[in-house]
Amino acid sequence: MVEILFNSILYVFLFLTLYLEVFFLITFFEERLKLGAKSATGKLSYYPSVTIIVPCWNEEKTVSKTVESLLALRYPKDRLEIFVVDDGSTDKTWAVIQKFANNQQIKLFQKENGGKHTAVNFGIKNTTSELIGCLDADSFVDKDALHEIASAFNEDPDMMAAIPTIIIHEPKTILQKMQRTEYHTVAFFKRMLSPLDAITVTPGPFSFFRKEVFERIGLFKKAHNTEDMELALRMQSNHMRIRNVHTAHVYTSGPETLYKLYRQRLRWAYGGMKNTLDYRFMIFQRKYGILGMITLPLAFFGIFIFLYNFGFVVFHIVRGAMSKAVEISTVGLSFALPSADSFFFNTDFMSILAYVFLGLGMVIIWNGVRLAEGRFRPSMGIFYFITLYGIVAPIWLVRAIVNILFSRGTTWR
Amino acid sequence: MRAQIETKKYLFAFIITTLVFFGALVVSNKFSTNRIAEIKSIESNISMDILASETQFALLRDSSCKAIDHSTAFSEELSSLAAKLSYMEDDLGTNNKEVISLKKYYSLLQIKDYLLVKQVREKCGVKPITIIYFYSNAGDCEDCIREGYVLTKLREEYPELRIYSFDYNLDLSVVKTMKSLYNLNDSLPALIIADEPHYGFQSTEDIEKLIPQLKKLREAREKAAQAKTATSTKK
Repeated sequence: MVEILFNSILYVFLFLTLYLEVFFLITFFEERLKLGAKSATGKLSYYPSVTIIVPCWNEEKTVSKTVESLLALRYPKDRLEIFVVDDGSTDKTWAVIQKFANNQQIKLFQKENGGKHTAVNFGIKNTTSELIGCLDADSFVDKDALHEIASAFNEDPDMMAAIPTIIIHEPKTILQKMQRTEYHTVAFFKRMLSPLDAITVTPGPFSFFRKEVFERIGLFKKAHNTEDMELALRMQSNHMRIRNVHTAHVYTSGPETLYKLYRQRLRWAYGGMKNTLDYRFMIFQRKYGILGMITLPLAFFGIFIFLYNFGFVVFHIVRGAMSKAVEISTVGLSFALPSADSFFFNTDFMSILAYVFLGLGMVIIWNGVRLAEGRFRPSMGIFYFITLYGIVAPIWLVRAIVNILFSRGTTWR
Repeated sequence: MRAQIETKKYLFAFIITTLVFFGALVVSNKFSTNRIAEIKSIESNISMDILASETQFALLRDSSCKAIDHSTAFSEELSSLAAKLSYMEDDLGTNNKEVISLKKYYSLLQIKDYLLVKQVREKCGVKPITIIYFYSNAGDCEDCIREGYVLTKLREEYPELRIYSFDYNLDLSVVKTMKSLYNLNDSLPALIIADEPHYGFQSTEDIEKLIPQLKKLREAREKAAQAKTATSTKK
């Protein structure tokens, strides 16, 4: 009886998950003709004035590369200024950035430590540019990225914010390779959410806003260490358009160890759920479109669905392992090869659904890689993502839920 | 202006999802049906082979026993059938009507084989090694799972060993007769070796002690293997 109840819940969750995958794939077919490579190779009809703010706190090792990548942007120098805001670093960040002191395009600021959003707000208050962007000091950009974003702003006067495609740069560890494929998958979903007006985050690396966004709804606010999500939700609640410009590529470095990844993802998962709770008035409200009906409920309940499905898989793995342990303790280890008889090929309902999920997942990964890299290239990252992500993600998701239940916050690092 | 919710798209996605979801169910059922058919076909083949052996035995009643070699016949087929039935039990559940029906037929085939082996033994004086195993998978016999592993291993090691396994709870008159023949009580697992019932878990070593022929078979096999190695070394 209990098993039937658990299985029924699982079937409902699997149906919902499948529904979402199908929904996004339909969107993909609708959008497929617009998913070409870089659009703007020539000159733009108009170059909006742009300020890019680089908030940094103890980034002495990476900040130079970040600023140099901004200086290499293919954009008129008189239309682009770069603000490097040292948010009270305790390392040599301030000394390192002095080498840019004489550059006409760059302004250096130093302030007391107050958190990343205060550094960005500091920059916003000091600029009059039409477009304001932000770039984390551990990221760097493709030279055409700003050109692509400005072109998108020119084409769509109602677009209030633009987010790029983020790519993990030169992954070295298994976890970084896994994240690279994860980011490719995210690139696919962001691109699909874009025309649906359902994007829930304007990430730190190279998101751009029209100045009037801040004039109308205010600056970044402290929001569970995920201020970029809070601003996106505030924009969405004010029906301001956020679009993904998939041809604008930004490179970032993913955490190399499990602990660092855990800290980052715990912050994202916890912040994501907390912000969703703060903006819960939009959930299941038709006037907020797909965002209200799908994306926000998914941001909150998706974690529970994921963990439930994961729990089911773990239950079966543990049961199988226990059965194997009993066999080994009874008759010892046997090295017999599994039967090659097709009779024993698993074709129960759950397995067939798993094959369908795997197939659809591969379609998503394939297209995510094409969006981010231009063409599909098989990599070990895909293998690591499929095999490892389901194992590591529950670590931070479970902790995020615990933190929500016991009102424990997260830290940046 | 925010992108509007297109009811048509929602519905279209719902229809596709439903089709895929129930399509998976249909495909899975189709595979199960094919498997059931495969088991039925195997059972039918074994049944025919047993009938053929019985007929051959009747025909050769007065002839030499050399013409009848029943030492390992059907043992492998029955073993493979048992593995497939067990898989179907896991897949469709122990209460599935088709599974129960297949199990009943399998039990009958085993008894027919058992009787044939008995006849051959009486006529020709050969002594096949048999174990009759009663188990329960109703969740009341933890040791039955372990006993199953032991018997599977023994069957792999000694192809000459004939193991007849019966679900103690199977509602089949012949199985009930077998139980009463050996005066079995409810303590499971139960093994009948040389017409003697043994209750509770029996390890590989326990069974090898109860059936001394197994030791001889192993020694003979090891000797043969050594002789083979020696010959190949000479070459």
